[in-house]
Amino acid sequence: MPRVLRPRAKGLALLAAAVLAVAPAGAQPRAPHLRPTDTSDEGGIWALSEKAELAARQSVERNRDPALNAYVTGVVAKLAPEYQGDIRVYVMDRPFFNAQMAPNGYGEVWSGLLLRVQSEDELAFVLGHEVGHFAENHSIEAYRTLKARLGATMAVQFAVAAVAMGAAVNAGSAQGANDIMRAAGALNDLLYLGQLAAYFGYSRENEVEADGLGFKRAVAAGYDPAAGASLWRSLIAETGSSSFKRVRDQEARANIFSTHPVSSERVKALDDLAAKTPTKASTADRKAYRAVIRPHLAAWLKDDLRRRDYGQSLALIDRLAAEGEDQGLLTFYRAEAYRQRRGEGDLELARKAYAQAGTYPDAPVATWRTLGDLTLQAGDRPGAKAAYETYLARAPQAQDRWLVEASLKKLSEGSAT
Amino acid sequence: MIRTNVVRLLAPCALLMSLSACVSVTSAPAGPYKIGTATVTLGHEWSDISAIMFARPAKVRLLSMDGPLLNRLYVTDGLAPGEFMVKPTAKERPTPTYRAGMAPTELVEFVTDSVAALDYQRVETDNLRPAKVGSADGLRFDLKAKTKEGLDISGAAQVADVNGKLYVVLFLAPSEHYFAAELPEVETVLGSVKVG
Ligand SMILES: [Zn+2]
Repeated sequence: MPRVLRPRAKGLALLAAAVLAVAPAGAQPRAPHLRPTDTSDEGGIWALSEKAELAARQSVERNRDPALNAYVTGVVAKLAPEYQGDIRVYVMDRPFFNAQMAPNGYGEVWSGLLLRVQSEDELAFVLGHEVGHFAENHSIEAYRTLKARLGATMAVQFAVAAVAMGAAVNAGSAQGANDIMRAAGALNDLLYLGQLAAYFGYSRENEVEADGLGFKRAVAAGYDPAAGASLWRSLIAETGSSSFKRVRDQEARANIFSTHPVSSERVKALDDLAAKTPTKASTADRKAYRAVIRPHLAAWLKDDLRRRDYGQSLALIDRLAAEGEDQGLLTFYRAEAYRQRRGEGDLELARKAYAQAGTYPDAPVATWRTLGDLTLQAGDRPGAKAAYETYLARAPQAQDRWLVEASLKKLSEGSAT
Repeated sequence: MIRTNVVRLLAPCALLMSLSACVSVTSAPAGPYKIGTATVTLGHEWSDISAIMFARPAKVRLLSMDGPLLNRLYVTDGLAPGEFMVKPTAKERPTPTYRAGMAPTELVEFVTDSVAALDYQRVETDNLRPAKVGSADGLRFDLKAKTKEGLDISGAAQVADVNGKLYVVLFLAPSEHYFAAELPEVETVLGSVKVG
């Protein structure tokens, strides 16, 4: 993954583990089914990765949908047949764009990424990129660079500190969420990331190389050559839509960091690669991918709104709506974003969006209750009454039924006098 | 969230002096407990561990019996529009904020999102019901959540918008034993909120 999109405390732990990893770096990709001896230093680091893997397996944030996990595993198998049995990827419900792979072959892909790739082709490119880092032992290179810069003792200390930091997050510490946000913070905290990247990042060369390797693996497996560039473009656009100036500015400033993630150069390099291979049409692919994530779409959108970067959420929702599917659900979450943002004119935008959501068969039932609330606030009593009545008819068992009934009672009393 | 901060506070302090001198956990004796314009009545003694809360907003207090991992009772003074239960650590990482004119379900959402911002996972509400805070109408509801490690957490919450200010009482504890053990006391506290 692009450096700026992946680091977080636990990612650091993995990276720390990764930098001390098993195989020597070199021009040759790692051999399949590699395993260090238990008594070697590498074996110890491998054990550390396995510990992180165990924590991930047991995490509450792990998405345990067997179909979704099997799907992701299947894509990895297509991309890396030679590492069959070596790589295990878990889906985590975390609303940030992130994928990572430890030297023992344990990987994570986060819901924020699955929500943002638009086709299996884009997912394949990202996973291929991770397999590329894994196969080329980029983490070893990163560790050697660090060692050369800081000296062996400091390098190990840094690795240990990073592991401890990861452990703190795994322990569900106080600040877990903040640490994850700060670190995953891609999008968020460039100074912090810059410091880390300076010590511990994959080099820009490694990132470009991993892009190329991901591209190669994806295309060899029959995926759309244009998918990688298209995904990075979407991410750049979404970052530019952030509600926060500091996040928006990152795109502009990001070039000063040597490990800058999704640079325009990287997009161009992928464009150049794709130009040499015919691009296939992919509307059907996007629909097929949507069908895979559809069972989780509502929950993931709700998680995304909890980041409270409504500019980014709205850009994401627009992109998800482009194919014309899931309009009720997506329009509902667009309304939710406006309502929660509550800026100038937002409640009116929200009211209209809830009303529009209600015209689609897949609108969540909460559409009508919230529409009722906002319509009432806007002074349209008959409109509010109609919305509340629709809500009660559609959700007769709702836990807030008494509350809606009380509002209706007030409304009818009001109109009687 | 508290554990880490205890550790952070203790580590440098422990070198210098005793625990009590570093982290001021104070007694909250049975009887009226006042925070700004709000008063609750405690049925038994609690520990006021507000001092160890990470970046505590001025209008939020945290009481506990057995430590923050085993029971937490949050009590707020009236939050004005723009204020929050969980303090944001940066502008671009905002936490749930109370806003003027929130509908009842938005008040519930404010609390559940705040619980999520405290790093609890899979937060859900149940059994929404009316409550009285003085003469004002409030809302009572139950919560379910999990810690990252998978521990089941139960919660009881009450919110009331009184003259444009939001008063929150929130109790969180592991579902096994700890929640039920304090629930009668918590019910008393929830029923005792007085404003002004
Ligand atoms: Zn990468």
